[in-house]
Amino acid sequence: MKGGPVGSEAVSRKVNILLIEDNPGDVELLRLALRQARIDFELTVIDDGGAAMAFVGSPQTTRFHLAIVDLNLPKNDGIEILGGMRRSDTFATVPVVVFTSSASPRDRARMEAFHIARYLSKPNDLEEYLAIGSSIREVLEETGTSEISQEA
Amino acid sequence: MTRSRFAFRPFADLPIKRKIMAIIMGTTATALLVAGVSLIISEAVLLEGDLEQDLRALSRIVADNSTAALAFDDARAAGETLSALRAREYMSAACIYRADGSVLATYARAGLSRECPPAGDERFVYRGGQVTVARPIALQGRRIGMLVLLYDVGRISERLQIYGVTVLAVLLGTTLVALVLSSRFSLLIAGPLIQLAKTATSVSESRDFSIRATKLSNDELGVLVEEFNGMLARVQATNNELIQALREREEALHQAQTARDSLRTTLTSIGDAVVATDAEGRVVFVNPVAQALLGLAEQQCTGRHLDEVFHIVNEFTRAAVESPVAKVLREGAIVGLANHTVLIAADGTEIPIDDSGAPIRGKEGAIEGTVLVFRDVSDRRRAQETSRLLAAIVETSEDAIITQDLAGLVTSWNRGAERIFGYTAGEIIGRSIAMLAVPGRNYEMPEVVERIRQGDRIAQYQTMRRRKDGELIHVSVSVSPLHDAHGELAGVSKIARDVTDQVRAAERLALLNADLQRSNERLARSNEDLERFAFVASHDLQEPLRMITVYSQLLVKEHASALNAEGATFVGNMVAGARRMRELLTDLLAYAEIGASSTEPAHQVDLNKVLNTVLENLKAAIEDSGATIEAGSLPPVRGYEGHFIPLFQNLVSNAIKYRGEQPPRIRIWIRSQNGQPQFAVADNGIGIDPQYHEKIFMAFTRLHGKKIPGTGIGLAICQRVVQRYGGRIWVESQPGQGATFLFTLPAGHA
Repeated sequence: MKGGPVGSEAVSRKVNILLIEDNPGDVELLRLALRQARIDFELTVIDDGGAAMAFVGSPQTTRFHLAIVDLNLPKNDGIEILGGMRRSDTFATVPVVVFTSSASPRDRARMEAFHIARYLSKPNDLEEYLAIGSSIREVLEETGTSEISQEA
Repeated sequence: MTRSRFAFRPFADLPIKRKIMAIIMGTTATALLVAGVSLIISEAVLLEGDLEQDLRALSRIVADNSTAALAFDDARAAGETLSALRAREYMSAACIYRADGSVLATYARAGLSRECPPAGDERFVYRGGQVTVARPIALQGRRIGMLVLLYDVGRISERLQIYGVTVLAVLLGTTLVALVLSSRFSLLIAGPLIQLAKTATSVSESRDFSIRATKLSNDELGVLVEEFNGMLARVQATNNELIQALREREEALHQAQTARDSLRTTLTSIGDAVVATDAEGRVVFVNPVAQALLGLAEQQCTGRHLDEVFHIVNEFTRAAVESPVAKVLREGAIVGLANHTVLIAADGTEIPIDDSGAPIRGKEGAIEGTVLVFRDVSDRRRAQETSRLLAAIVETSEDAIITQDLAGLVTSWNRGAERIFGYTAGEIIGRSIAMLAVPGRNYEMPEVVERIRQGDRIAQYQTMRRRKDGELIHVSVSVSPLHDAHGELAGVSKIARDVTDQVRAAERLALLNADLQRSNERLARSNEDLERFAFVASHDLQEPLRMITVYSQLLVKEHASALNAEGATFVGNMVAGARRMRELLTDLLAYAEIGASSTEPAHQVDLNKVLNTVLENLKAAIEDSGATIEAGSLPPVRGYEGHFIPLFQNLVSNAIKYRGEQPPRIRIWIRSQNGQPQFAVADNGIGIDPQYHEKIFMAFTRLHGKKIPGTGIGLAICQRVVQRYGGRIWVESQPGQGATFLFTLPAGHA
């Protein structure tokens, strides 16, 4: 399903989302879910832990409204990346959604320390997957992101 | 009065110095006094003579000069004549009497109105400090008058007074000089005497006869000092001799006393029984040990004949044995008792004793008594018995019991040693123990001896020895020190046991064990690898599977129009297969996770709470099937909640899944079998054929194919949980009669 027509008042303003995820299948499904939730987004994808560390460690001109982080990544894992974000000027205040296939309660407990916005398991079902979009929309609304496109 | 008494103190009491001074002074003063007085007397006599002569002469002159005047009775002329007497200072008055006795003329010294003295017959009279001189005045042999002169003798007195004063002054001066000189000179004599007296006082006060007077001169006083010193020396020598003698006497007395005391103490405290008798054999002394052995108090023995208190018999014949005292008195020699003598004490106790008797001889060699010494030899008898027993034990021991001296020479060798090492005692005693050493290990035995020497005790060390026939054997050896009577290390004793068979068996066992250990390690490693593989595989396989599932669904959803009916079925099968695979992987992951070691400590788990969670998880299935569940109270266990939830959940969900015609009735309780608690989950389901009772616990085993969904891992998970806690799980069931799953959790967990 394609994203709906963009609201006239939000033409030039999109939600900037940083997605750190190495599985192209999940990236594609997330795009689908976000479109489904009618979020007008600009996605920056990084598929490697090392690159992610470098990215969050350097100043960015783009202001990100949200970061979605997979915990299992090559090179540096999600925990390290979260640490890097909290130390960075650009990303310290960016809300984070952890998106992972790990159901381990220990992983979940370790995330608590980072005050993340949501801890989402990667669903095994399409409908559940598409519902992720709504969760992310909720997060954006909670954090007061005004750039979310109005529903048609 | 004191003064007067002091003054009258007898001369004898005065100190010598004063005496000498007094003597000198007295002598000097007396001599001077006598000389002075003599001088004054002689002077007085001479002066008187001179005066008489002078006055006679004067009276003659005056009388002659007056003759004319008298004859003519010329008073004036007579007065002039008399006035010439003025020249004489001491002439106090003068008169010229007529023959009839009347006064013709007078003369009186100026200032004096002295009457004329009467004209007496006496011609020369001293009276009241006056000399009266009367002289008849004659003319032609006829007396015509009298001249009387009155002369004051004060002149003489004056001169004599001057003499007296002079003599007194000289006397005083010489006395002073004499006082000073005598004071000096008296010291010459009194000094040594005073010193001598002081020395004597000091000696008598201090009783120190070593003090000596100092000799200051060679005169009689010197001799006196020498004599005094000599006397002191003799007194000192005598005194020292006396003191020495006294001391020696005291010493001798003390020694005698000590000797007596010590002799008595010795006899009293000696370990042997001692009885002394007089020459008749009557007891005069009995020491405490003897009293104890005889069973009699001292007063019960003293004075009685020895035979009355000392009863001895032969140990074997029971015949009375003659008291050694009788023999001593008869033969006068020391006698010992025959062996095997038994003393029968007053209370009848029999005590084996050794004894001996000896005569007590006086100074002349006559027998004055006897002394009997005896001792209880029960302990020695027992010790002899013990040592015989010990010797027998050593001799019959299966172990080799060997002793050696510090040089390593064998000193004893039992039969066990002969058997184990092959050498007879005769072959090895006196030779070096090193004969037994294994070639190349000769250092071992000296080392052991050295350790013993340093006080170590060596218990059970294992080593090897060489038998006489050359065979090497394993022995277990204990080594202990052997001490001589003085407590000095004299050698060592060794107890050796042949452990060759055990050692060989142990070696075989050790080899087997090592093999087993290696196999175990291999198994554990491969098991671990497998588990890790299962965990990683089931985890990582989920990802692609998730992709397949979700994208298959997406394909159906988005591109349904592009698929015909068959294509849709194919995609449906694909989705079903992927879902099934996901279930399998989830269960496999759960199974693998149970085996993984946990980093968290075990804690108390409330199984009732676990069961509630399980029933909540299975709520839908329970409601769908209409199952009734009856649960008893379950005890808490130690472990991890994450293990007990799948355990109960699989058992309960199986009970629901494999139900019969009736709605499931599930009962969960604890039953006690042989005192051991067993957890039971019973259902009224289809039951299980006993031939599958074991197989069902194996992973991926399913009895019912696709009719009833399942992965075949549930019971494997249950078994794995129970086994992890050291318990056992099994089933009691018959087809069609329901099933009861039972498991135990050993104490400490349950």
